[in-house]
Amino acid sequence: MRIACPFCGERENGEFTYLGDASPKRPNFAVDGGESPERVEDAFYDYVYLRDNVAGVMREYWYHGGGCRSWLVAERNTVTHEFISVTAAPGAGAASAVRAGE
Amino acid sequence: MADFSWNVQSPLQQALVPGRHGGAGTQVGVTLEEVRGVSLVQVMARRGRVAETIKAAKKLFSVEPPDTPRAVSGRNATLIWSGPDQFMVLSARQTGDQFAKLTAGFAGVASLSDQSDGRCLIRIAGSGARQALAKFSSLDLHDSVFPAGAAATTAVDHTAVNFWREPGSVDENAVFNMLVFTSFADSLWHTILDSCLEYGVQASVAHAA
Amino acid sequence: MSGYSRSEPLARTAPMEANVRKGVTPASQSHRLPGDGIIDRRLPLQFSFDGKTMTGFAGDTLASALVANGVKLVGRSFKYHRPRGIVTAGSEEPSALVEMRTGARREPNTRATTQELYDGLIANSQNRWPSLRRDFMSINQLFAPIFVAGFYYKTFMWPAKFWESIYEPMIRRAAGLGKSAELPDPDHYDKAWAHCDVLVVGAGPAGLSAALAAGRAGSRVILVEEDTLIGGRLLSDGGEIDGLDAREWLRGAARELVSLPNVRIMTRTALFGVYDGGTYAALERVSDNVAMPDRHQVRQRIWRIVAKRSVVTAGAIERPIVFPGNDRPGVMMASAVRTYVNRFAALPGKRVALFTNNDDGWRTVETIERAGAHIVAVIDPRHEVPAQYQRLVDTYDLRVLAGVVSEVKGGVDGVRSIVVANDKNGLTQRIDTDCLAVSGGWNPNVGLSCFHRGKPTWREDIAAFVPGSAPKGMATAGAANGELSLSACLREGHGAGARAAAECGAAGKPGEASKADDEVYAIAPLWHVKGKGKAFVDFQHDVTASDVTLAQREGFESVEHLKRYTTLGMATDQGKTSNINGLAIMAEATGRTIPETGTTIYRPPYAPVAIGAFAGHHRDENFHATRLTPSHHWAAKQGAVFVDTGLWKRAQWYPRAGEKDWLETVTREVLAVRNGVGFCDVSTLGKVDVRGADAGVFLDRVYINSFSNLAVGKARYGLMLREDGIVYDDGTTSRLAEDHYFLTTTTAKAGPVMQHLEFCRQVLFPELDVQLTSATDQWAQFSIAGPNTRNLLRALADPSEDLTNEGFPFMGAREVKLRGGVTARLFRISFSGEMAFEISVPARYGAAMAENLMIAGKPYGVTPYGTEALGVMRIEKGHVAGPELNGTTTADDLGLGKMMSKKKDFIGRVMAGREALTAPNRQVVVGIKPIDKARRLRSGAHVIPKGAIPGPQTDQGYVTSVCFSPMLDQWIGLGLVERGRERTGEIIRIHDPLRNEDYEAEICSPVFYDPEGVRQRG
Ligand SMILES: [Zn+2]
Repeated sequence: MRIACPFCGERENGEFTYLGDASPKRPNFAVDGGESPERVEDAFYDYVYLRDNVAGVMREYWYHGGGCRSWLVAERNTVTHEFISVTAAPGAGAASAVRAGE
Repeated sequence: MADFSWNVQSPLQQALVPGRHGGAGTQVGVTLEEVRGVSLVQVMARRGRVAETIKAAKKLFSVEPPDTPRAVSGRNATLIWSGPDQFMVLSARQTGDQFAKLTAGFAGVASLSDQSDGRCLIRIAGSGARQALAKFSSLDLHDSVFPAGAAATTAVDHTAVNFWREPGSVDENAVFNMLVFTSFADSLWHTILDSCLEYGVQASVAHAA
Repeated sequence: MSGYSRSEPLARTAPMEANVRKGVTPASQSHRLPGDGIIDRRLPLQFSFDGKTMTGFAGDTLASALVANGVKLVGRSFKYHRPRGIVTAGSEEPSALVEMRTGARREPNTRATTQELYDGLIANSQNRWPSLRRDFMSINQLFAPIFVAGFYYKTFMWPAKFWESIYEPMIRRAAGLGKSAELPDPDHYDKAWAHCDVLVVGAGPAGLSAALAAGRAGSRVILVEEDTLIGGRLLSDGGEIDGLDAREWLRGAARELVSLPNVRIMTRTALFGVYDGGTYAALERVSDNVAMPDRHQVRQRIWRIVAKRSVVTAGAIERPIVFPGNDRPGVMMASAVRTYVNRFAALPGKRVALFTNNDDGWRTVETIERAGAHIVAVIDPRHEVPAQYQRLVDTYDLRVLAGVVSEVKGGVDGVRSIVVANDKNGLTQRIDTDCLAVSGGWNPNVGLSCFHRGKPTWREDIAAFVPGSAPKGMATAGAANGELSLSACLREGHGAGARAAAECGAAGKPGEASKADDEVYAIAPLWHVKGKGKAFVDFQHDVTASDVTLAQREGFESVEHLKRYTTLGMATDQGKTSNINGLAIMAEATGRTIPETGTTIYRPPYAPVAIGAFAGHHRDENFHATRLTPSHHWAAKQGAVFVDTGLWKRAQWYPRAGEKDWLETVTREVLAVRNGVGFCDVSTLGKVDVRGADAGVFLDRVYINSFSNLAVGKARYGLMLREDGIVYDDGTTSRLAEDHYFLTTTTAKAGPVMQHLEFCRQVLFPELDVQLTSATDQWAQFSIAGPNTRNLLRALADPSEDLTNEGFPFMGAREVKLRGGVTARLFRISFSGEMAFEISVPARYGAAMAENLMIAGKPYGVTPYGTEALGVMRIEKGHVAGPELNGTTTADDLGLGKMMSKKKDFIGRVMAGREALTAPNRQVVVGIKPIDKARRLRSGAHVIPKGAIPGPQTDQGYVTSVCFSPMLDQWIGLGLVERGRERTGEIIRIHDPLRNEDYEAEICSPVFYDPEGVRQRG
């Protein structure tokens, strides 16, 4: 398998580490912001545990740890192993970025 | 009070035995060199301060730092791309606090980390260099893909290394540089040396000038 | 390709002059022909087979040399110990498998047909006892019924104990092929990468055409060929190309390819795997053609080839016909007969019978007749002589018989006669022959194109499967694509090569395709001749036609079931000559068509690959990369014993003369620290430079406690959770400047924590201005501990440094100047519970630091200590480590619940509050002391209440860490025990069924030593 790091170019998959589904977003909440603890806990439960078992194109986190140390978001077909796109995480590099959902 | 001497030690103190190794007869297909006495500083732009970082680098080194995987020669230093919006500054170690000087030059716009002791610089050249490198590097080092001045952050033996081809080194004289983590240096040296033995190796120690 | 050396495609192996035994005459080569052959008669080679010395020539394979010496019997079969010979001349060989070399280099199941001959080669036949000619186990043939399909399943079901005592030893003796060496392999192997635009697999006429087209167009081309020579069938069958003799054309093609700097030819290199994204794997047999690899040379090398496009021109394999006695030595594929004669000038038989159902088999006639031998009969079930070969009938006065071979007679030395049956009138006749050449048609090599679950499709006109689809970027051409004529191979190969080059952006011209006359290839499928006696489908696994039909009768009709029930195609040859015949017989038995019956799934490796080659350089001390601490060589000089901690080598203890065991050493080290001063290299802890305006806020989010409020010049212990609320890692983090923290991790988690922190920085909190750099290797860090620590440091530090409690209080962190001009970072932190500091200097000073600590601490009896003493002291102080941070414990389980900030969000905060993670009956960290002070506590032992019967219901936890405590003079431990903190003083039962121990112990505070912490603050 070869993964095209947007910074480094195409590399063999041994340089990368797989994390999993890139769709769940870590819930944002303000401590003592008045949100019900149950709702916050439910949101985190979804974020931590609930995953779709996709047969087809899926967005995934990959880490180029054996390279530029960038976190990447890849669209990959889990059936054919074909990568459709690979983009950098919002905070890779030093460009100004905002937290997801803000 | 007792006197304390602070002898410096290279991580290859034991592994690197200068002289000829392997091969048949007197043939030397690969030269392997540890370059000692280097100063190495990791420069990472602060968030939203990429333009200022480039400016500061240009002021210090009279050259823009690479924004793609390349190594560029600047005033008294080589700037090597090491990731998005970051690069390493490689220069000969001098007396005085080089790190403090650089920190001042990038104050407020970039974060610096002294890596002079965190890495070991190994240089590989010779007619068998590419063949030997193919045994431990997954990179395509063909001229058309990896010309002089090309750089990569990659893995050797599952360990991250900074790799670049010396700017200006062409054809049979291509020189490849590798910065490996200090603690891995002894082990990787053996792997590299083993990979080179069939071509005949000249191993030596050089000092950064 | 500058810098790469190219193998010389037409060069032959030239053994070293010294190895050539003088005075050996080739007289023994009774079946060697005069005339061409691609062998070098100037270089005779001596070899031995089953102890008998013979000679061959450079360019021979072991098989061709055996043929030249008139040897037909080369082994005994797997189950029935039937005499077996050479069937093919290629890598598909299912029968002529030998044991190569001796001693540590002994290797079983080597195909004699691919083993290059070298001077001094030693080979032995396999699976025979006591000798090849008199094999006692051939009695197995009489017990044949127990070896039928599914015999493992049927025979050995009952009684179970018979399996171990009788059946298995018997089968191990009787079955199996060859013995592997029992000594470690003395040879080296490695792996290498190669990159190209166009990878061409197979250097026959199609592959050469593809490589020429792509190479001329300017693409970077790699041409791999498993054979020692390029040319494929041209080496055996010749022909005419562009008006030239095939060998002449071949020389021209080779010259042109070698002249192209962008083409790399790799011979002796077999492609065995196709992987995602254009990655291919090939095995190069670097030194299999010599007795012993040259010094510094590997035996074999695995290539991982990255290619934008590939053209598979891997040819086709001639398939046998299944008829009674078809495994008799001397029954050989017709194409192999031609190869032995034309390429190797070795004659498999002097009176050859030919059994073919297709036109291609007829080529054999001319080969044999021109070699001065005779075709005694041509048996063709088609009842008609192909028009293009009619002339042969007249020229050689051929005896052509319409029908099939229904019986083969002969002895261990091979076929003596055959019986031919006319399938129309039922008449039979006997024909004397010493070699039966067989051709059942050609199977294109579809394997590589099917490795990504591709299904081949059936082509009726050639009665064979052809590639149905191919992995992305791959094209198939020539015989591998079902185009069996030379002209089609040249044309298709050229086209595929040119297309692949264009797709890679090559702008040059591919030139013209070479031309040859069109040939006709006609075939009438013939799979199985029924009759008396065993008719073999799979020669290597001894699977017969009746095994296949038996499987069908017993309901194993699917090809995947057929394969597993009969073991058809599961031997080292992976059924290259047998699979299609097997499924054709199954199709016939079930009344389905062959495409309906289908093929089994194709998987790599295409050809056998030694495990050693897969391991490559990574064995023994190179199994994985190792990391050395800055004081490693110094510690080695002190006689330290090292322990592997992840990739690190760490000093475990420093034995002294006269110490009787490690425990005595470790106890001495602990007492030296607690009573004086000692030091330990702790450089292995992960260290991260955390910088940026938001560094403090960032750390607040990744740690459960706060760091933004940490004062510059101070250190703090921090704990990280995973997002699910379980403890992830711990360590001390110091604030060295407003925008600079220095974070440490455990040794084990340094890498994962760095990855996690980068995830937090880049994915979760990209708005923060924070930069992370691993600084683990930059610093040599030592822990200095014991009541005399300050005295030692005063001797080492510049007199201007204030190291008093006021000037450098507990948890202080700042730079200090050392005597001699080096600046260090000093952290007043303690893992041992003693007055302690950790000191860091740039790694280049690591060895000097160790030496200087010895000098500075000499008046105080300074003692270097290892990880074991470190462990003892942390257990005495109740500090948690790896065994407690075990991926199931919460902060509160570790007694650190109070550290969790309530004022901020942090990783793991919300999930840590879940009911199950806050339940009152959780297992928490406690101290454990055996009541009997002489008892040795062992980790892993279960904790159950006193008086309870051990079992899952009464199990309340276990002992996690133990040590002999010199301070308490007994074994102590930490454990995770249900409601442990409420149970201080309770007597519990320690139950250890694994080590058969059972005793009582007391639950106590985990802090065994100096619970008030007076010593570390002193
Ligand atoms: Zn990258």
